[in-house]
Formats: sequence, structure tokens, C-alpha cells
Amino acid sequence: MNKPKVLVTTIVSACVGLFFLFCLGWAILDHYGKKTSDLGGKEAPPINKDLPNDFTVVALGDSLTRGTGDESGKGYVGLVLEDLESEYNHKPLFHNLGINGQVSKELVQQVKQTEVRRQIKAADVILLTIGGNDLFQKGQTLIDYDSQVITESQKEYVENLDEIFKNINQVNDKATIFLLGLYNPFIGLDEDLDTNRIVRDWNNETAEVVADYKNAIFVPTFDLFQLSVKDYLYSDNFHPNKKGYRLIADRVAPLIKWEDETQ
Amino acid sequence: MLALNNLIQNEMMKLLAKKRLVIIGIIVGILVLMFTYAQFKQVEEQQKKLGTVDWRAALQQQIIDTQNRLSSNRMLDEWREQLEVGLKQQQYYLDNDINPSEPGAATFTRMFLENAIDLFIPLLIMIVASDLVSSENSQGTIKLLLTRPVKRWKILMSKYVTLLLSVSIIVAMTALLSYLLSGLVFGYQGWAAPVITGFELNGSDVDVSQVRLVEQWKFLMMDLGLVWLVAVVIGTLSFMLSVLVRSTPAGMGIMLAALISGAILNNMVSSWESAKYFFMVNLKLTTYISGSAPPIEGMTLLSSVITLLVWWLLALIVSFTAFTRKDVY
Repeated sequence: MNKPKVLVTTIVSACVGLFFLFCLGWAILDHYGKKTSDLGGKEAPPINKDLPNDFTVVALGDSLTRGTGDESGKGYVGLVLEDLESEYNHKPLFHNLGINGQVSKELVQQVKQTEVRRQIKAADVILLTIGGNDLFQKGQTLIDYDSQVITESQKEYVENLDEIFKNINQVNDKATIFLLGLYNPFIGLDEDLDTNRIVRDWNNETAEVVADYKNAIFVPTFDLFQLSVKDYLYSDNFHPNKKGYRLIADRVAPLIKWEDETQ
Repeated sequence: MLALNNLIQNEMMKLLAKKRLVIIGIIVGILVLMFTYAQFKQVEEQQKKLGTVDWRAALQQQIIDTQNRLSSNRMLDEWREQLEVGLKQQQYYLDNDINPSEPGAATFTRMFLENAIDLFIPLLIMIVASDLVSSENSQGTIKLLLTRPVKRWKILMSKYVTLLLSVSIIVAMTALLSYLLSGLVFGYQGWAAPVITGFELNGSDVDVSQVRLVEQWKFLMMDLGLVWLVAVVIGTLSFMLSVLVRSTPAGMGIMLAALISGAILNNMVSSWESAKYFFMVNLKLTTYISGSAPPIEGMTLLSSVITLLVWWLLALIVSFTAFTRKDVY
């Protein structure tokens, strides 16, 4: 080991060390130096359809969109996509924005977000499940059954749904929106069919809203689960299981028309 | 002064002759290559899944995933809090149209340093620091060193300065190697990419009133300063152990146990408040400027830096007192 080499290493590392010391001081000063935000006031960036021009499916909504209850994690959305892929030999672009437990009020907020709007803008098909949590509130509706409360939450839900459709159509009125109706997971527990009436009423109101929009389609699921609800529900007796999702997907997938824009 | 200078030169020569720095360089190189490949694979996988290279879609998906995790009610409160903080920041990046992980070697280096600060960098430092004194013991050369007509504190001082110098080399080398190697895959750009700093945390609330944009090269420099401080403190503590404990493996073992316990404690101390005085839960300094939640509520950059400096000072005092009074036989 020759002396100059050692000396050079020493000097270089000493300089590096001093540099780091300076960086450290800077980091601390910068962290505590009170400066006002230079962001925040910035307006939202414009939404351009700079996402690829392929056939795009956007799924919005609650746990059904997420696929809760399906052990393979696909849910009806995943199954619909598989069906589309096998029929058209091509994989559509897909964004799943479903959030477990989401209620209509939260979805109104979600469809206003810039990035969500951008994705909706690029969509050709929008799959929507919402309202289940508004109505059932994790089973609370059944426990303290009160028609007054249900009427109120229904009113609120209808308004929110309208707002959701408006927001979607604002950015994209070409996409077909499929809104899935509710099924009644409590049908087996209910002897005088009170819940059936409530859910049916809820679905009717939903269909009325959907009818106002010509690019929206209401897809009923009530009948699918009517006869043998136990076979099609997950062990939480609320979400569909794999078979249940298959039923829903079989109903939705044939409705989707894939028109390839690139051709 | 001249004597000290010569002693430092002497120590540096020993250090370079041991080729430790070369070994550390090789370790860093291999790890960086592994992480680069892992990240490359991850990005590829994500693009395949989303069908687009658009980072906004990917970030949106991450946000949705976090929201879904949060909606599960069987989650510990402290995890929920950390997730919520992360979620709000991600949303903030997205709303302001800023990519939090702009592809490029500069981003990779920043991420690598931020993840290496509490365990990997300290381990590298230990390779050098933990036998600076104890190796002289085990080889018996300490007697030759101490019989020279130089004060004992000067001898220890020369060793400590050498430690500081090699810590600086190691930190610089880690940053440089991760930049150079990851750039092979991700490209050498990203210096001017904007990074957001200045999130103020209050429980799970994120205050964005002081948030501002910093160019990535500045952010990287600040990260480096903090990493260096952690490295110096860890180096000094290992140095103290190498004075106190005659056997190098024992000293390393103690330090290793402390570091690993710190990594474990970080995940579960939030209810044990006085744990914030341990040096090992204060190592993740970079989280304060990037704005993630600290392991214990109430910890700030300043409190962590002061805690580390107190440990550093104590370690120095103990080392010098012990070394000057020690019987050598």
C-alpha cells in the first residue's frame, strides 16, 4: 500500500464526510424552515384521454365489484372479463375501482376524483354495483326494522345514484353503464317476505333512475338468488360465493358488445 | 497534531490493506442488482396486469387496494393509522399529477437509501467498525501500538477518525453503486423529478398546508445527510463495543441484536411510549422528510436526531474513558 494512495483516500473521504455533514444540516433546516405550500392552489390537471385506446372496462362500486366471497378473488367482474377474453380472443383493459363497504354517498365522491374521471373517460363499458350497503347496513336494517328509516335511506340513495350517473355522463356519455340490481341475501331467514318487498321496491326505484339515462342498463339479479339462495352465498350469508358470481357474470357478459375501435 | 495525522494515515493504511471496503462494495453491488431485477420484474408484472404503462392508473389501483384493506375491521389501530397516512399522500400525489416513483436511477437510489437506512447500512458499517479496536486485542498488536510514545487518547482518536472517514466512504459508495447499477436498467434520469415534502402528521390526519415540491436531487442530498448521521451513530456504538468487549464476534452480536430488535420494535412499540429513547427505533430518519408515520406518535425529526446524538456522545465518552484506563496484558 503506497502512501499517496492512502493520503488521497483520506482526503477524498474527509471531503465526502464534510459534504454529508452539510447535507444533514440542510435536511434539518429545510424540515423546520417554515415555508408556505407552493401546491394546493394549483387547479386540477386536465383529464386527457391519454390512456390506451383499447376496449376498456371500468368497474365501480362495492364488495361485489371487488369480488368478496369468491375464494379465487375474481368476483363477477373477473369472470365477465374472462368470458370477454375467450369470446374475442383479446384481453380488454380493465380498472377495478370497487371498495368494500362503499355506499352511494362515497361513490359520488369517488367519481369526482380526477384520476377516476380520467379512467371513466377512457371506458367503453362501466360495471356498477352500489346500494347493497345503503340498504342492508351490515344487517342492521333487519335487526331494527323501521320502514321510515328505509324510506329515507332509499330517497338519499336515489339522489346519489342520479348524481353518480350525471357525473359519469359528464365525462363520458358513450360508455354503456351496467348497473346491477340487488338480490335478497336474507330471503331464507324471512318468513313473511318483508325483506323481499323492501328489496323489490329498492330495485324498482333504481330501475327508474337508470331509465333516465339512455346509455345505462339495469341488470336484475334478484331472481338469480330467489330459489336456492343458500347454494349461491358465501359463508357470511351476505356475499355471493363463486357459483353466485358465476350466475351474475353469465347474465352480464352476453350484454356487452365489444366494438373494436382500432379497426 | 502531526503525530495524530501520522496515526490516522497509519490506521487508514491498515483499513485499506484489509480490503473491507472492497467486500462492502461487492455486497452492495450484488444487493442492488437483485433489487433492480426485482423492481424491474414488478413493474413488468404490473404493466401486464393493468395493460398500460400509465403510472396514474397504477397509483389509483394502489389507492383502491389500500382503501379495501382499510375497510376490513380486523385491523390494528396503528396499522390503520399508517395506511391512512400513506393513502392520503398517494391521493395527494395523484391529485397534483405527480408521479411518486418517477422511473429512473435517481428514484431507485432514493428508495434504496430510504429502505436501507435502518438495517442494511448499519450492517455495512458494523463490518468496519466492530473490530477496529478489538482486532488489535485478538492479534496482540495492541501492545505494540500502546508502547509507542503517544498518548492513548490520540491512538483511539486516530481510530475514530478513520471510522468516520470509512463511514463516509461507505455511504457514498452505496449511493453511487445503486445509482450506477440501477441506471443500467432504468436509465440515469430522474434528477429533476419533483418530490413532495413537508407533510405534517397529526395522528392519521395529514396537514398539507406546508407541503412543497423539491427536486429529486435535493431530496436525495437530504436523504444522504440523514443516512450519514445514522451511519455515524451506529459506527460509534459499534466502536464503543469493540473497545469494551475484547472479542469481535461478541461485539458484533450485541450490535446485531440491538439492530434487529429495533426493526421488530418499530412494528409494535406504538403503545410503549418510552421506547422512543432507544436509538434503534429512531433510525428511520428519512421517513420524517418523506412524511410517513413514525413508529411512536410524537416522535419528530428533531427528537430523533437529538436522541441519536445523545447516544453518540455517551458512546464516545464511554469509549475514551474505557480505553485510556484499560489494563493491557
